[in-house]
Amino acid sequence: MSRAVGDELAAFERTVTLIDMVAYAGATWDFYGLHYDPAFVARAKVPAPVVDGQVFGAYFVELVQDDLGPDCFVRELAMTYKNLMFAGETLRVTGTVTAVEADRLSVAMVATIQDSGYGEERVAALGTATVLLGQPDGPGGARGVR
Amino acid sequence: MTLLTPQIRALEGQRRVYRAPEPIGAAAGRYFALAVGDDNPLYTDAGFAREHGLAGVTIPLTLITETNQYAGLPIDADGYAGHSWEIEIAGTRRVRGGNTYTFERRIRPDDVVTATWEIIELAEKTTRSGADMLVITSRATYTDQDGDLLATNVEQDIFVSLGSPA
Repeated sequence: MSRAVGDELAAFERTVTLIDMVAYAGATWDFYGLHYDPAFVARAKVPAPVVDGQVFGAYFVELVQDDLGPDCFVRELAMTYKNLMFAGETLRVTGTVTAVEADRLSVAMVATIQDSGYGEERVAALGTATVLLGQPDGPGGARGVR
Repeated sequence: MTLLTPQIRALEGQRRVYRAPEPIGAAAGRYFALAVGDDNPLYTDAGFAREHGLAGVTIPLTLITETNQYAGLPIDADGYAGHSWEIEIAGTRRVRGGNTYTFERRIRPDDVVTATWEIIELAEKTTRSGADMLVITSRATYTDQDGDLLATNVEQDIFVSLGSPA
C-alpha cells in the first residue's frame, strides 16, 4: 500500500437515526437525556435530540481502519467539536493524508453534516490522526497477551 | 469577573480512580460496533483477527474512551452514569471542546479497565467575541488488570461566560 500526501481516504456517509442514538447510549452506558428524551430536549431549547459528539471519534477510526486496512493502528486521534448534529441528519466523513513516513501516516479528517431541515451544511467535528502501518495491535500489542 | 475562583482552582490536581467490576467483554464490543454501524470483522470474527496477528476479536478502539462501563456509578437525574467533576459555574454555558486519544494497543474482551481521571490544567481565556471563558483540561489514563497502559484521553471542557461582551 503506497500513500502520498494529498491522497483522499474513501469517504462514507452515515444517517444517524434516533434508534442509532439510543443504541449508542446503551453501548456506552451514557443515558444523558439530551440524546433521546423529548422533554429533556425541549428544556434544553434545541430542535431535536442531539447526537453524542464522541461518536465522531468512532467514525474517524472507521474511516481510517476501512481505508488503510486491518494491519494499521490508530495511535493518536485528536478531535474538536464544531456544531451540534441532530437526530435524522446525515454525516459525511472524509479524510486526507497530510504526512507520510516509512511506518506511519498522518491524516486530517472532517465530519460534515449535510444540509437538512435543521440547517445548512456545517462541520460537526474536525479530526487528526497518526496511524501506524504494519502494526495491527499497536506499540503495546506484545504486552499482556494471555 | 474571574471564572477561576479559589474553589475552582482547588480542583487542579484532583484525581478519581474507577476500576471496572468485570472484563469489558466481547459482547460490549459487538454492541458498540452495531450501534455505530461499523462492520469491521476485527470486532466480530476471531479467525479474521488472528489472520491479522491479533489474539482474537478486539473491542472497537474508541469504546474505552467513550464508555462509562468501568465507572460503576448510578444513573443521575439527567441520565448520566459516568465520571464527572460536578463543576457548576453560575452565569456560564458549558461547551465540549475536544478530545485527544492516544492508544497503546487494541482492547481485548478479557481486559479489566481501570480509569484514572485527573484535572491537569485550568486556564482563563477570552473568546474571539470577547467573552471570558474557563478551559478545564482533564486526562483519563486507562490501564489493564496488570497495570499496563491501554490508552489516554485528554479532554477539554469550556465554560463560557454569559455576562461578558458578545
